[in-house]
Amino acid sequence: MADAVRTQGLYKRFGQQVAVGGVDLVVPRGSFAGLVGPNGAGKTTTLSMVTGLLRPDGGRIEIDGHDVWADPVSVKAHIGVLPEGLRLFERLSGRELLTYGGQLRGIPLDEVGRRADELLKVMDLVEAQDKLVVDYSTGMRKKIGLAAALLHNPRVLFLDEPFEGVDPVSANTLTEVLRRFTASGSTVVFSSHVMDLVERLCDWVSVMNRGLVVAQGPLDDVRRGRTLNEAFLDLVGVRGNGDDGLSWLGSGSTP
Amino acid sequence: MTMTWLFVRLKLSLVRGGLRGDVGKQAGFAFSLAAALLSAVAGFGLLSLIRLAPSDVGLDLVSAAFAMFAVGWVVVPLMAFGLDETLDPARLALFPLTTRQLATGMFAASAAGPWPIASLAALCGGVVALAHGPGGVLIGVPAVVLQFAFCLTASRLVTTALSGVLRTRRGRDLLAVVAIFGVLLVQVPNLLLNRGFSGDPTRILASAGDVLRWTPPGLAAHAIADGGLVGVAELIVVAMSVVVLGWLWIAALRYALVRPDSSNRGGGSVRRSRTGRSRTGRFLPGGMLGAVVAKELKYARREPRARVNWISAVFVSAVVMFSLRGPGGSTGPWTAIGPACLAAVVIGLQAANSFGIDGRSLWMNAVAVATPRDLRTDLAGRHLAMAVVAVPLLALASLAAALVAGNAAWALVAALTAWGVLGTAMGIGSITSVTAPYTYPDRLNAFTGAAPGQGGQAFAASFATMLVTGVLALPIVLPVLLGLTWWAVLAVPYGVAVAWAGRRIAAGIGFARLPELLAAVSRPS
Repeated sequence: MADAVRTQGLYKRFGQQVAVGGVDLVVPRGSFAGLVGPNGAGKTTTLSMVTGLLRPDGGRIEIDGHDVWADPVSVKAHIGVLPEGLRLFERLSGRELLTYGGQLRGIPLDEVGRRADELLKVMDLVEAQDKLVVDYSTGMRKKIGLAAALLHNPRVLFLDEPFEGVDPVSANTLTEVLRRFTASGSTVVFSSHVMDLVERLCDWVSVMNRGLVVAQGPLDDVRRGRTLNEAFLDLVGVRGNGDDGLSWLGSGSTP
Repeated sequence: MTMTWLFVRLKLSLVRGGLRGDVGKQAGFAFSLAAALLSAVAGFGLLSLIRLAPSDVGLDLVSAAFAMFAVGWVVVPLMAFGLDETLDPARLALFPLTTRQLATGMFAASAAGPWPIASLAALCGGVVALAHGPGGVLIGVPAVVLQFAFCLTASRLVTTALSGVLRTRRGRDLLAVVAIFGVLLVQVPNLLLNRGFSGDPTRILASAGDVLRWTPPGLAAHAIADGGLVGVAELIVVAMSVVVLGWLWIAALRYALVRPDSSNRGGGSVRRSRTGRSRTGRFLPGGMLGAVVAKELKYARREPRARVNWISAVFVSAVVMFSLRGPGGSTGPWTAIGPACLAAVVIGLQAANSFGIDGRSLWMNAVAVATPRDLRTDLAGRHLAMAVVAVPLLALASLAAALVAGNAAWALVAALTAWGVLGTAMGIGSITSVTAPYTYPDRLNAFTGAAPGQGGQAFAASFATMLVTGVLALPIVLPVLLGLTWWAVLAVPYGVAVAWAGRRIAAGIGFARLPELLAAVSRPS
C-alpha cells in the first residue's frame, strides 16, 4: 500500500536562498501527522509544493502513489488544502464560499447544501453563515477554511498552521473534527509551532530545520522518552538561552 | 521641540524608504520625486504668469487656484492613500505623548516630504502674481505660509475626523467608489465645454471669485494684492481660521485616540433565499461553470475594485459617446456604431486580467483545476458573467448612440457589431490573462491599477489586448462601417468563435503555468 505522502529530494530556491534543500517527507496512510520546525524551516514552502500550488525546482512528490505534477487529475480531486495566511474569497459569505468550493469540484448543488449545513453546524458558524468572510475573525476564518477543505471529503488533508490565532473553544472543535476524520482512515498533515498540541494529537511527526527533514517517524520514536518539546530543541539546536545581555530588564533596574 | 523633530525625521525616513527595494519601486520613487519637482516649477510658473492678466481677473484666478489647492489637500490624501498609515493617530496612542506634542509633531511631519514642499513652492507663485511693491511681498510671504498652513490643518482635520470611518471595511469600500466618482466628475466640465454648453468663461470666473472672496484662501490672495493695513487685517482672519481648524483637529485627535478600533465589528449579512440559490442562481448551470459565473457576478457587486472597474468602463463609454459627435453633426451609421464598439472594447479590457480580481484567493480554483479543460470552463464562466452584464449594457449604449446620431434603426446594427467586438476582446483578453497576469493592489489607489513594480506590465497587457482586439475586429467592423450593414449579422458568431478560440489557447498555456499565474496575481501590494 502506498504512503499517503512521499517526497524525494524536494528542492526549492528563491533567488540565492535555498528554502527547501532536498526534503524526503513520508506520511503513512491514515496517520495524523505533524510537521514541526522553527520559523523559516521551509514548512510552508514544502506544503505549497506538495499541494501543487508552487512549482518545485527539483524532486518528486507522490500522493497515494500518484505524481502530483505529472498526474494532477488523480491527485487534485482527493486532497483538501488550508494554505497559510487565510487567503479566502473575502467577498463571499461563509455559506457561499462552501457552495463555491463544492461546485468547483463538481458536487451536485443539493449535496453541497446538505454538507455545508452540517459543516457550518459542527464549526458553530450557523449564525455567521451569511456574513461576508472579510468580516470574519481569525478563528472563524480558520474554521470556514477547514470546512471548505473538508467539503469534498478528501483522502489527504493539508493544513498550514490551522491552530494559529484560534481560541481554545474553536481549537477544540477543530481537533474533534480532525480526529474523527483520521479515525476513518483518512490522512491529515498539518504544520505547527505548538509542540504540546502536536504531542497530544499526532501519531506521526516530521521535524524540519533549515530546509531539511531532520527527524521523522512515529511520535514515540521521535521523542524517545523525552517530551516532544525537549526532543525538538535538541534536534534543531537551541540558539541562545536568553542569559546574555538584557541586564537592565526587570523590576530591579530603573525604567 | 525634540519630539517634533523626531516626527519629521520619521516622515523623512519613510520617504527615503522608497529608495530601498527593487528596481521598480526605486523607479517609482524617482518618478514621484521628478513629478513633484515638475509640479513645483510648473505651479510656480503658471501662478506667476497670472501677473500678465488684468488685475481683477488675476485676483480671481489666484483666489480660485488657492481654493483648489485647499480642496486638493483635503481630497487627494483621502482617495489616493486611503489613510496615511504613518500619521494614523491610533498607531501612536500607546506612546506617552501629550496631545499638544502629537499635534505639533504630526503637523510638522505633514509639512515634510516632496509633495508638501512642492505645493509650498507653487503657492509662492501667488506672490509673484499679485504683489505690488515691497509692501505686497512683505504681506505676501506670510500670506502664502498661512495658506499652506490652512491646507495642512484642513487636510489633517478631515483625515483624522474620518480615520474611524476609514479604518472600517465599509468605510473604505464606500470611499473607493466615491473616489472614482470624484475622478470622473472632474471630466464633466471638460465634456460640457466640448459640447459648447458653457457660458462666458470670464463671467463664471468672476462669480467664482465673488464666492471665494471671503473664504480663507480668497482672503489670503486678496491680502497679497491689497497690501497695507487691509492686507494685515485679512491675514489675521486667515490666521484665526487656521487656529480654529487646528483646535478642531486637536479635539478630533483626542477623540480618535480614546475611541476603540471597531474595524472588525458589525458588517451586514447577504440575503439568501430558502433554497440556497440566489435569484440569478436559478438560471445558472450547475458545476464549475455555474459556480464561477455566480461568484463573478457577486464580485462585480461586492468587491470595490470590481465595482470601480465597471463604473469607469461605463463612464468612459459615455464620454466617448458624447465627445465623438462633433457640434457640426456629420451623420452616418458610423456615428452610432463607432461609440458602441469603443464601449465594447473598454468593457472587454477588464477581461485582459481575468484572474487579477481573485488575487490571493485564486489558489482555491487552482487546487480544483485538474485539466486544461477545467481551466477553460473557469475562463468560460468569467466570460459568461461578463456577458450577462455587458450584453444588455451594450444594447443600451447602442440605443443611446443611435438616438444621439438621429436614427434609432442603427441601434440594432451597432449592438450586433458591439457584441462581436466584446467577444473578440474577451478572447484576446483570456490569452493576456494567462501570459501577462498582474496583481490588483489591495490599497485603493485611483491612479495605479497594479501592484508596485507591475505597472508597466499592466499597461503593456491592456495595450496589447486593445491593439490585437482592434486588428481582429476589423473583419466585422470595417464592412459595417463602409455601409454593408447586413454584415453585422456575422459579428456575433465571429465574436463567440474568437472568444472560444482564445479560451482554448489560453487554457493550454495557463494550465502549464498555473503556479506562476497564482504567484503573479497574489503579489504583496
